[in-house]
Amino acid sequence: MKQSILVAPLALLIAAAPAAAHYGMIIPNDPMIAQEDGRSVSLTMSFSHPFEMDGMMLDRPVAFSVTHEGATTDLLGSLQDATVMDEQGFTLDYPLDRPGTYVFAMEPQPYWEPAEDAFIIHYTKTYVTAYGDDEGWDTELGLKTEIVPLSKPFGLWEHNVFQGIVKMDGAPVPYAEVEVEFFNDGAGATAPDELMITQTVKADADGVFTYAPPAHGWWGFAALNTADYTLPQDGVDKAVELGAVIWVHFEEWTGQ
Amino acid sequence: MTRACALLASLALIVPVAAGAHQLNVFASVDCEAVTVEAKFSNGKFASEGEVRVLDGENALLTTFPLEADGTRRIPLDSVDHSGGLVIEVDTGSHDDYWIVTPEDIARNCGS
Repeated sequence: MKQSILVAPLALLIAAAPAAAHYGMIIPNDPMIAQEDGRSVSLTMSFSHPFEMDGMMLDRPVAFSVTHEGATTDLLGSLQDATVMDEQGFTLDYPLDRPGTYVFAMEPQPYWEPAEDAFIIHYTKTYVTAYGDDEGWDTELGLKTEIVPLSKPFGLWEHNVFQGIVKMDGAPVPYAEVEVEFFNDGAGATAPDELMITQTVKADADGVFTYAPPAHGWWGFAALNTADYTLPQDGVDKAVELGAVIWVHFEEWTGQ
Repeated sequence: MTRACALLASLALIVPVAAGAHQLNVFASVDCEAVTVEAKFSNGKFASEGEVRVLDGENALLTTFPLEADGTRRIPLDSVDHSGGLVIEVDTGSHDDYWIVTPEDIARNCGS
């Protein structure tokens, strides 16, 4: 009986531990804006466990920008406070004056995660194409860490593969771990095992990873690496997890 | 339903949408003076020749212009009745596409 007494509290502890990954999120109302859709895109920014729809506080980011045709525009002052998944988030309506690919990027403030004894900084981006012109779909922003798409990061059917290169300071990260998670917004997906809330793939020696989702919707890819610097927490230097996050929408297959 | 929405909805049924390899993409920006048409293929190259057809909001042909060699065409606003919006079609012979200039586009970009 002694063993059973020990096992029961441990099971409770394990069940209470967070199984899902943290994700910075930039989700547009549509990743492919056609002229019939209007002349702007609506963005929702948050920080969450997206499979479990569990929101976390997203403080006003350090940076928020859009890059289009090689020019980057600061949009930090245009963010509107919003409640997303019951927590602080932001929204933005951005006019799309010209065709092409618009890359929205966010650098959040360092998030202190006591359970991991580390800070988390997720450099997050999402690609939106306007008016049928996909030029710029493979844009590299030069972020501290970033997933550079090898597959067009929109206009993918469900079950297509998505490929990207994980980069840190502009260089590929060999065998980088990439966590993959579904934004379970209205989809009602359930996981038969905690391991299937956040899946993990590894990049190859050139930093290239591949993933094919089982269903349409928004999928987040987060390549996680430890920074070469620390940040202080209560006077103690703590590790910093740097995430390169990209959100990709896969479209529902329309054939039989 | 706004006039712009009605225009977009009706034209979506009428105008054929080009698709496939080297798809033609037509875009038109507008200011107080003119509509500037740009015709570009999906590989990034501008169309070097083609016909620009300007239709009104009722889909009636108003006028035609040749596309300039750089894939653009400037259409003075005072040369066409744009009160109900305009439909700009570009036909290169093998590809075609269109852009709808709504009355709201003109008002927004003209600062009125």
